[in-house]
Amino acid sequence: MTGMEEYPNGNEGSFNSEEADGLVKECIEAVVGGDDYSLNHVNKWTASIVERCLTQLVKQGKPYKYIVTCAVMQKTGAGLHTANSCYWDTAVDGSCTVRWENRTMYCVVSVFAVAIP
Amino acid sequence: MDEYQAEEETAFVVEEVSKIIKESVEAAIGGNAYQHSRVNQWSTSVVEQCLSQLSKLGKPFKYIVTCIITQKNGAGLQTASTCFWDNSSDGSCAVRWENKSMYCIVNVFGLAL
Repeated sequence: MTGMEEYPNGNEGSFNSEEADGLVKECIEAVVGGDDYSLNHVNKWTASIVERCLTQLVKQGKPYKYIVTCAVMQKTGAGLHTANSCYWDTAVDGSCTVRWENRTMYCVVSVFAVAIP
Repeated sequence: MDEYQAEEETAFVVEEVSKIIKESVEAAIGGNAYQHSRVNQWSTSVVEQCLSQLSKLGKPFKYIVTCIITQKNGAGLQTASTCFWDNSSDGSCAVRWENKSMYCIVNVFGLAL
């Protein structure tokens, strides 16, 4: 088929990770955009980010179950490593991970979308 | 009695999953100190081991396993997750593990088919 891209999300039936990527970035910006890492607020921030992302995703009205995870870490020079592994139907399920940072903290958000059969 | 057993076979059992996670983490990074050059391989190893043990359970679930490994140097780390699913059939389990030099947080999400 001409014009068909090689990457897995080329067809309509599967999860659109680019769209989700944009959506997640907006949610992170909206919640922690101009702030510095604060122990008192971080609990509230992570909860807000995941809830906001989830609400936006559900609004799309697609037949998916979603899992949104968020990790916020203070920048002190510590190493942080994350990994995900999924056992699902690669044709219709998908994920998207966004790494964001500012001067004082890192934020890593992952969205997993599992098609409802 | 039969009904209860059938449910056990198709339900997400948190204790069972928790045990699998703990064993996988111990096996992958048990006696080690944080090492930047190896942490990539460790986190991959943890999630793959968890996933293969989970799929061996033979239950009708799709699984998502996430792992975070962070060095202990005083940095604050906060994680959160939220799920849009079927509360009656789907479930999750989180395990926090640590040793002298690092923290490891593993989340398993199970979605019923």
